[in-house]
Amino acid sequence: MLDFTDKLRPSQPDGPTTLARERGQSSISTEELGRHLLSADGFLERQARILPIVQREPLLSKDKQQNLSRPERFKLGLARAKLLRRLVDKHQWSHEDYKMAEYLVSDVSPYFLHLEMFVTTVREQGSEAQRAHWMPLIDSWKIVGAYAQTELGHGSNVRGLELEARWDPATKEFILHSPTLTSSKWWNGSLGRIANHAIVVAQLLLPKRDAPFEYVSHGPNPFIVQVRDMDTHLPLDGVVVGDIGPKYGYITMDNAYMLFNNFRIPHSAMLSRYSSVDPETGIYTKPEQPATVYGSLTYVRAQIVHHARLVLARAVTVAVRYTAIRRQFKDRDGDGSGSELSVLDYPTVQIRILPLLATTFALHYTGLAMRNIYENAREDIEQGNFYSLAYMHSMSSGLKSLCTMLAADGIETCRRALGGHGFGGGSGLIELNNDYLSKPTVEGDNWMITQQLSSWLIKKMASAVEAPTSPSHDEIEVRFKEFVQVKGAGRNSPLSGYLVLENDEAIVKSFELRATTLAYDAYEQRILKKRSWNSLLIQLHKLSKAQSQSILVGKFFEAMSTDSTLSPSLKDILLDLYRLFALYTMENEAYEFLRCGALSQSILDLIPARIEDLMRKIRPHAVKLVDSWMIPNYLLDSALGRYDGRVYEDLYNRAHRLNPLNRMTFNPNYWEDEIIKGSGDGGSSILSKL
Amino acid sequence: MPSPPPDWVKALKPSEPQGSDLLAQERAQSNVDVEKLSEYLHTKPALERQKKMLSLLQPDKVFDKSQNHSLGRVERLKRSLAKAKRLQILAEQEKWSMEELHTANDLIGEPTPYGLHASMFLVTLREQSTPEQYKLFFERAQKYEIIGCYAQTELGHGSNVRGLETTATWDPEDKTFIINSPALTASKWWIGSLGRTANHAVVMAQLFVGGKNYGPHPFVVQIRDLETHQPLENVYVGDIGPKFGYNTMDNGFLLFNKLKIPHVNMLARFSCVDKETNKYVRPALPSLVYGTMTWVRSNIVLQAGGVLARGVTIAVRYTAVRRQFQDRDADPHSGETQVLNYKTVQIRLLPLLASMYALHFTGRGMMALYEANQSRMKAAATPGQSSRGAGPEELRAGAELLADLHATSCGLKALASTTAGEGLEVCRRACGGHGYSSYSGIGPFYSDYLPTLTWEGDNVMLSQQVARYLLKSARAVLSGKAADNDTSLILRKYLNRRDKGASFDILEEDADIVAAFAWRTAHQTFEALKHRDAEKRSWNSLLVDFWRLSTAHSQYLVVKNFYDAITSPAMTSSLDAETKTLMHSLFRLYALHTLEREAAEFFSSGAVTVRQITLTRTKAVMKLMDEIRPHAVRLVDAWAIPDWQLDSSLGRYDGKVYDDLFRRASQENPVNDLVFDPYPWNKAILKDESPKSKL
Repeated sequence: MLDFTDKLRPSQPDGPTTLARERGQSSISTEELGRHLLSADGFLERQARILPIVQREPLLSKDKQQNLSRPERFKLGLARAKLLRRLVDKHQWSHEDYKMAEYLVSDVSPYFLHLEMFVTTVREQGSEAQRAHWMPLIDSWKIVGAYAQTELGHGSNVRGLELEARWDPATKEFILHSPTLTSSKWWNGSLGRIANHAIVVAQLLLPKRDAPFEYVSHGPNPFIVQVRDMDTHLPLDGVVVGDIGPKYGYITMDNAYMLFNNFRIPHSAMLSRYSSVDPETGIYTKPEQPATVYGSLTYVRAQIVHHARLVLARAVTVAVRYTAIRRQFKDRDGDGSGSELSVLDYPTVQIRILPLLATTFALHYTGLAMRNIYENAREDIEQGNFYSLAYMHSMSSGLKSLCTMLAADGIETCRRALGGHGFGGGSGLIELNNDYLSKPTVEGDNWMITQQLSSWLIKKMASAVEAPTSPSHDEIEVRFKEFVQVKGAGRNSPLSGYLVLENDEAIVKSFELRATTLAYDAYEQRILKKRSWNSLLIQLHKLSKAQSQSILVGKFFEAMSTDSTLSPSLKDILLDLYRLFALYTMENEAYEFLRCGALSQSILDLIPARIEDLMRKIRPHAVKLVDSWMIPNYLLDSALGRYDGRVYEDLYNRAHRLNPLNRMTFNPNYWEDEIIKGSGDGGSSILSKL
Repeated sequence: MPSPPPDWVKALKPSEPQGSDLLAQERAQSNVDVEKLSEYLHTKPALERQKKMLSLLQPDKVFDKSQNHSLGRVERLKRSLAKAKRLQILAEQEKWSMEELHTANDLIGEPTPYGLHASMFLVTLREQSTPEQYKLFFERAQKYEIIGCYAQTELGHGSNVRGLETTATWDPEDKTFIINSPALTASKWWIGSLGRTANHAVVMAQLFVGGKNYGPHPFVVQIRDLETHQPLENVYVGDIGPKFGYNTMDNGFLLFNKLKIPHVNMLARFSCVDKETNKYVRPALPSLVYGTMTWVRSNIVLQAGGVLARGVTIAVRYTAVRRQFQDRDADPHSGETQVLNYKTVQIRLLPLLASMYALHFTGRGMMALYEANQSRMKAAATPGQSSRGAGPEELRAGAELLADLHATSCGLKALASTTAGEGLEVCRRACGGHGYSSYSGIGPFYSDYLPTLTWEGDNVMLSQQVARYLLKSARAVLSGKAADNDTSLILRKYLNRRDKGASFDILEEDADIVAAFAWRTAHQTFEALKHRDAEKRSWNSLLVDFWRLSTAHSQYLVVKNFYDAITSPAMTSSLDAETKTLMHSLFRLYALHTLEREAAEFFSSGAVTVRQITLTRTKAVMKLMDEIRPHAVRLVDAWAIPDWQLDSSLGRYDGKVYDDLFRRASQENPVNDLVFDPYPWNKAILKDESPKSKL
């Protein structure tokens, strides 16, 4: 359908012209930087190979999905998930290939829990016999599973779960039973409408040895349970299960509720690699190492941290490209001629976006480091050594909290920096925001889990105080003991502040001193002054944040000082990004740096000017820097962030051609009930659905 | 909808203690007189109005909210139009006042497609019409014979009104204006009520007369046929598509292909083109044009407190009901701790509780200022269209007040809407996992509120206007020609003491807290002035400083307004002693928590010492939270937000959180009507469905 709008073009200078100029003014080789960031484990090659395959599937087109109702959108999500699984067969994809396709499509898959927690739990916690029975069924998709731990009344506190699994010695079965409404399973993904099996975590109740009619709880244990009929897909008798309804995001996921009414499951349902109940005696064998249960949770957190860089990079890519193209107001100090300023040239826009651009790199190097820690910890565990798991688990909790917060808040900051168009469906940041905002609360609420890192640090500090000259096992111990020794020598503050503006390593030192001081304060309050745990929670949260920020800064610097592959000009720019990230973070927490003597007042006063200076230096490279993250247009799904800069044409196309509302004519007169003109429905079709 | 659950499920209760008991306990441990405080905050007539409207709307099926979050965009807009129509019919039947209609809209809780007709379209026609136009447009619009919107923002231009691209060219031959969109970026964009509903629009376009551009002016343009509701020829109009929120509003785009409109369609109260001479006649009082914007912003500040109150009400009630972990130091047999007792939860919610009161009192202060200004302007400007205007002195007095109000409204609008918007998200996250559910009532409301942070002037852009005003005031103070107002006063005070130092006792004296905020603002003003005037730094390079300055100034205004309110005779005479003491605690919590968050600026300006900040952080704020905590539930109860308006399982007055979450999930969730086929190799999505479904 042609009309007079077809020949209209955006006013000059248009997006493509602007982006060409942006790319012309920077010497960065996006290929070099892209390879540096993403070539490990074949990411770039894989992206290039999978992208054309998913892009040509009509079902995977993202054009109209934001208009759909929850049921329709969920159906579309399932249809896509099925298709992706069939594409695995068709193209002989590896699991990594499949993950890439899922990442590009960017729907939360209703099969997610089947593919992740369900199979991981069976593999890690099933006995040999259980694995032999279940793994083939799972791998061949004969059964579809989910993972049901969280309940309506209990989330983070796993020990507080209410669902009961009571051992019946007579029939040698467990009886799953929900004693209260709050014991309903809740939030469990893939279970609401999809799964026919689930790992169900329940309080294991066993008869007391000396009083067989009295039961005692042995804590939460995992059971593998069939919940729906394999034929009709309806819930089995004694099971009530359904979807919990609309959410902020995750629209394509069927998060579930589930209740049991004296539902019997066989002895073999209890996953028994680490703990088991003897079917003859009813005696419970404890796990050899309770910590192993946290293994998969730690892995999930490491993944979340590693993924955060790409999530934030998506938002920053959109923000940098669009604000380079968008123009608003002429320069006040200019002569009034010339065109309007690019929004990205306003320092008030730069200070919101460029530190986030730097953050994507900080997240990258820490994500890499965490993966390495995880690999090492896995090896140790396989050899029966659980020492590094504690370290890993504590670090992962602090980093998960900080990194997801940085990414989630970063997405929203970018979205708002886009001005009005950031609110529109064409920004590409709406669904990203909706889906990603679950991250600060899933797998451990960000405010709760920071206690784990802090409590670990307090213990470390206590032993450092106790034996300041003993040999150290890790970098934290080294740092803490040094601090204790200096403190003991009466030199409270090592110097009148680090020279953070002149020396890149001094920045790392200042972050470490701040974190160590906060750790010592917490130790002093809790151990020496016996303050209550609750009254210290805010302080502990700050400690966890300080330690995690010090890791981000330290890993970034370490990567810069050990790398020998980057060209000198590129490394200079990355070093500026390092400084920007560190100094920006420092300025926001200035009080803590001042108080512990890591920073002097005179240096602090110079930081804002230095930040603006760094932003001026980074600004010409901004577009090339985001280009280097190599995020395809298909994934961005953003009119504002398109690689070619055709922002306004795309926005108009979405509004004009892809919008179903524009195919209907409304009746605006309030005295007529009719809603759609000419339908003559008198509004009855609306009311009848209520 | 899904069939009801089996009896064994119906028989289940949440585990003890019940949410209703926990909230009863909460309410028992505080003596705050909720009713009295409500009346003080909202006035008795407003509360009665709310009650009356609620009883009228809630039973009406058309206003049902249960499916809001499950519906698709198209269906939601249809229903929203049905609601808007019904409201208008009720308004006519029941002869509602303006206030009653506003209350009804607030209770419904979503923008409707009549929204911009009822606000900006009518207001603009009323304020900018000549008597002839008033009859021709306003009176018909008031009766909904024509339905309109306000089309200013374009695809390529938002905040910078002077950059608009749509043109209105005077054609002296046939005495018409030619409305035209020369580029794609000239398309009107984001215009509420335009996409599918309006048949008229006030269009802001660059006026060209005799080849000369006179800047943006308002034109009334018919865009759709009154019979068929189809766009007129050479008009291209539609809805811009799905958004983050506001999906019940048909924000539209609009393009013109040299459309001719008659001379009378240029709104001509303040400026016009003379039909005979073809000359542009200058505006009589250009500043009046900004009046509407200032009014809108004042309103935003006033509403921000109420918006935040919704989030805080939900989060405070829910975290009082939700329990998680035993206290690490407590007896292992005691039950789990109420989440609201965790300091990490208090530090997020209680300062927001204080903020909603702070914003409310500030909003009231601003509205009073606006009204004072209006009556002054009215007294100055002669009513009607008489050419004999007011004397120059009166006009200057009015203009000065307007400049002051304009600067104040810019900064406060930015601070208030940011506080409310970000506060809602903090509340949502404080509700943990259940905060992510739409039934929490926070997420969807947050999405609808977010545009307030960018419209009527992007918050960051607005900060420049505040800075400009403060720099001007500082220059006037230095040259001894300052106006007699509060801004000059705090700048002068600072200058007088600059060499002696501040020494404010913020931990003991409430008035010193206000003084410390004033000191920091004044310090930053003179620093900025030094950069601009002495060091000659470019405007652009100072924008970050200006942004900080604007925030500092607005925070000072909130602290000052809050302080004025709690020390006012009106409050002293209306509230009992305990509640008054609590209001002081809320004031101190808001101010000291803000001070602690901006510690570096207060420290750098010399307003406080590092030691004072440490004490604020570790002692004062903690102590205030302990004081306020037992009253938290009553302090949100006093806001008197009805359950139907909250539309939240978590925030219900009766605390039946879990029962309601379960009821909605199992009974109001259309997804549970469908039985899916889970296997990847079966292309059918639903069980017993042919593989060729709609997908």
